Amino acid sequence: MKKKLLSVLLTAAMAATLLAGCGGSGDAPAADGGTEAPAAENTDNAESSSDEGEAAAPAGEVINVWAFTDEVPNMIQKYKDLHPDFPYEINATIIATTDGAYQPALDQALAAGGAEAPDIYCAEAAFVLKYAQGDASGYAAPYEDLGIDVAADIEAADIAQYTIDIGTNPDGKLVALGYQATGGAFIYRRSIAKDVWGTDDPAEIGKKIGPGWDQFYAAADELKAKGYGIVSGDGDIWHAVENSSDAGWIVDGKLTIDPKREEFLDLSKELKDKGYHNDTQDWQDAWFADMKGEGQQQIFGFFGPAWLINYTLAPNCGGAAVGEGTYGDWAICEPPIGFFWGGTWLLANKDTQKKEAVAEILRWITLDCSEEGLQYMWANGTLNGEGGTKDAVASGTVMEMSNGELDFLGGQNMFEVFVPANQFANGKNLTQYDETINTYWRDQVREYTSGNKSREQALADFKQQVADNLDVVVE
Amino acid sequence: MGKKKNRYAKYGYLFCLPFTIAFILFMLYPILYTLIIGFTDLKGLGMTNFKILEDPFANFKTILTNPSFIKALKNTVGIWIANFIPQICLALLLAAWFTDKRSKIKGQGFFKVLFYMPNIITAATIAILFKAMFDYPMSPANDLVMSLGLSDTPIQFLINKTVTRAIVAFIQFWMWYGYTMIVVISGILGISPEIFEAAEVDGANRVQTFFLVTIPNIRTILLFTLVTSLIGGLNMFDIPKLFMLGGPDNATLTTSVFIYNQAFSGSYMYNRAAAASMIMFTIICILSAIMFFLMRDKDEEKLRKQIREQEKAYRREQNALKKAGKEGA
Amino acid sequence: MLKNRSNTIIKIVIYTVCILLAILSIAPFYIMIVNSTRSTVEIQAHAISLLPSRYALKNLAILTGKSFDPMKGFMNSLFISCGATLCAVYFSTMTAYGLVVYDWKFRKPYFSFIMAVMMIPAQVTMIGFYQMVYKIHMTNNMWMLILPAIASPSMVFFMRQYMYPALSMEIIQSARIDGAKEFAIFNMIALPIMKPAIATQAIFSFVSSWNNLFTPLILLTNQEKYTMPIMVSLLRGDIYKTEYGSVYLGLTLTVLPLIIVYLVLSKYIIAGVALGSVKG
Repeated sequence: MKKKLLSVLLTAAMAATLLAGCGGSGDAPAADGGTEAPAAENTDNAESSSDEGEAAAPAGEVINVWAFTDEVPNMIQKYKDLHPDFPYEINATIIATTDGAYQPALDQALAAGGAEAPDIYCAEAAFVLKYAQGDASGYAAPYEDLGIDVAADIEAADIAQYTIDIGTNPDGKLVALGYQATGGAFIYRRSIAKDVWGTDDPAEIGKKIGPGWDQFYAAADELKAKGYGIVSGDGDIWHAVENSSDAGWIVDGKLTIDPKREEFLDLSKELKDKGYHNDTQDWQDAWFADMKGEGQQQIFGFFGPAWLINYTLAPNCGGAAVGEGTYGDWAICEPPIGFFWGGTWLLANKDTQKKEAVAEILRWITLDCSEEGLQYMWANGTLNGEGGTKDAVASGTVMEMSNGELDFLGGQNMFEVFVPANQFANGKNLTQYDETINTYWRDQVREYTSGNKSREQALADFKQQVADNLDVVVE
Repeated sequence: MGKKKNRYAKYGYLFCLPFTIAFILFMLYPILYTLIIGFTDLKGLGMTNFKILEDPFANFKTILTNPSFIKALKNTVGIWIANFIPQICLALLLAAWFTDKRSKIKGQGFFKVLFYMPNIITAATIAILFKAMFDYPMSPANDLVMSLGLSDTPIQFLINKTVTRAIVAFIQFWMWYGYTMIVVISGILGISPEIFEAAEVDGANRVQTFFLVTIPNIRTILLFTLVTSLIGGLNMFDIPKLFMLGGPDNATLTTSVFIYNQAFSGSYMYNRAAAASMIMFTIICILSAIMFFLMRDKDEEKLRKQIREQEKAYRREQNALKKAGKEGA
Repeated sequence: MLKNRSNTIIKIVIYTVCILLAILSIAPFYIMIVNSTRSTVEIQAHAISLLPSRYALKNLAILTGKSFDPMKGFMNSLFISCGATLCAVYFSTMTAYGLVVYDWKFRKPYFSFIMAVMMIPAQVTMIGFYQMVYKIHMTNNMWMLILPAIASPSMVFFMRQYMYPALSMEIIQSARIDGAKEFAIFNMIALPIMKPAIATQAIFSFVSSWNNLFTPLILLTNQEKYTMPIMVSLLRGDIYKTEYGSVYLGLTLTVLPLIIVYLVLSKYIIAGVALGSVKG
């Protein structure tokens, strides 16, 4: 009996194996490819195209796009829909960044080259430096080499300077640009502003909380007197602190702690000691609770770019129309210190065989400021029909001609704040090590603020961690 | 035996051939790669040119004097011991209960299935759930602490190094005790029932049966459990990495997370990562060899006493197998 | 009398421990399933909840509305996991058989070599493997995830350890006398005896292959070849707006086949004592 069961099971498993094997019929011959590697390349190509059912598409008709979400592939699909005569097929590879596989896979694909190498690839703010200026910048094609008139287009589109700085390689050539603008604003609760200062006018509030941290902490004190916290956690001010420094973490191969970043220790400690925040960590339960006003104390505001409003604050405000939860009770003003947070940059492979088509797509996404360009649709939320999410875009020109009014912000036109916000953001103090170093830094700051160690010890341990894990000189 | 040995020896090679081929095709290059680059200057992304360092052991020296590595090594061993000892004890206890014919635990099939279940969920999910559980300032753990009146303010559990290490050790324990239990049970199932019957006839109670019959008879499987758990434990990666990224303050940094950080967290120091891998490899080899030695050593201590017992048991077992073999054929 | 009472006490202890452990084991599944019926906002407010909500269908819509096909992912996962498990189980038993039954010159060194392979930390070695696969342009080939399973050192180790006490030379000898070929003896006699071991290892191998995320993520870049875990990872990977509800739904759907496989195979582990050697 048991023997029978096992054999049934094994047969079933075998059958499943064969069945699935048939699905990709080309797989079987490739099986012995391990032994005769050189011949395998052709087999493999033929295979992938036959899988997608394109009858004998000759190599070179496909543009390989690598991305970490389906956002950019969907845009390119839209481009194809709008331009039926665009002759190329799009082969999108989407690998999420959350599990840490996107970069290793992309690195291998770029290094291996060949017909399957990416033609267009995307990089997120956290690691774009590596591809635009750092170790992997050698793979990126300058936009001008693709035939794009970079200077004129940037001028016309009024692209935010920080995105250009980030996308410029060590030779001074532009290799990466984005479509979003992620310059940040201070997003605050109107009702609390009225209670404390008697006004919710963004211009007035901007002057209350800034410029500079002294002004911000003075405002925090006034808020505290009425029982409000100014921010949810110290993570909220970190992006602003990070971006305000004059020097990045690494200068000439040496670890540098810019005084403005070192000050974060004290800023964070003060927030905690004086109870100016709810001591939450970003992306955790308590942080989201503060968006609904359900934390220990009511929280005045958050630091963030437009996507934080769209994707995080709005869904978590506890309502979907004015009057529900905190919906409509928000407004945005200039932050005490300019900063940006996140964003996606597009790069092209220098070895691409389809320069013109790649240039056409990159230009449409990152530089086209007409009403037919991607950014106009993106800013007005019309990419997939009317009523989509409005977002800030890289081109100031596009935002000028777009309508950024949001019910969530009580009808405020967010572009009025985000256009200047993009000008304040700084793209020159970043390094490809930032993600790692920031993790160590925040960890040690938390050790200090929670009283586990002294300020000196936290700094010393931070330096030690960097020295142990990175190829960086630490003095 | 001598003649037969020659006649059948070629089958030994033949039966090991598939493994060898697969090894050569898929693993040889990666292993040689690791072996060699530890002695080279290979770092940085996409680099293919590398040369042997003037001081070939420079990377090894750097790693061995790296305070984070030393800390990681201590953490790894500590967390492994803290999870392995309770894990093997519980697994043995459960295996003894479930294979004891006399107690006849009802629903044991159900329990056996359930206990392995935590191992089925991916480590990423488990890490997220546990993190949410102990979050600050709002989390189920804090709700509990505050509703029980143990604390008036929320507790920041995950900044306490001991607590965080204990949680990691607990997750490892909880994910793997079912696995260990199943391995042990399958080992016990391999023992001929006549041995147990004989023990019962001899008047051995449960405890005696377990220690004098079961344990000696699954020694080979126990060795497997010890050695694989040692290897798995010293290479612990998923949970420490996903739970707190090795934090807070390096409290849950394990050597594998350290190696990963060397290779991927920004500087792409493949050479140092490979050197650290080889150091871990050496440590694991030595510890495994000690385990092999210890398990064998015990044998010899009791050799005289056991030879007689084993022969008896062996004969019974063989008779039983012969019967089974005939039936099977 | 006394014995009876102590028996009862022992049983109470046993059941209490077992039930506690069972609750601990079920809890994460319960939370996962409950979360797959909750909306992203609800999950962000309270990551852990005991009460289900009513967003299951919405989450399903998000899951199926993405650019990939979960059914296809399921078939790919099934293909890879079944293939890898069969390869691993069969060839590991074979290798162990070669190590246990035959006395050949390099038997001991070969075993030591297998043990050594098992001890190599994976992080750096994997870099070499990815590099190799990309260099020979064998990415997007599922066989690259299946065939390496033929060399599974830890499984060989387990099979060898299990085989030593379980398999007697006498049976093999008598089969030889009956005129059976070596290969046939392995298939007809050794494999059935090894059934509990095979079932055990098959479960472990299937689970780890099914849940394997990192290697497929790097090696399978073509959407047609994506496995279930890759799809869930993509859901999680939308960093600016993660749909947690559908992530949990995806995780739940990923786990279900594993539970089924486990339930089926566990019959061999649960069955009475000595199923392996006596009752065929």
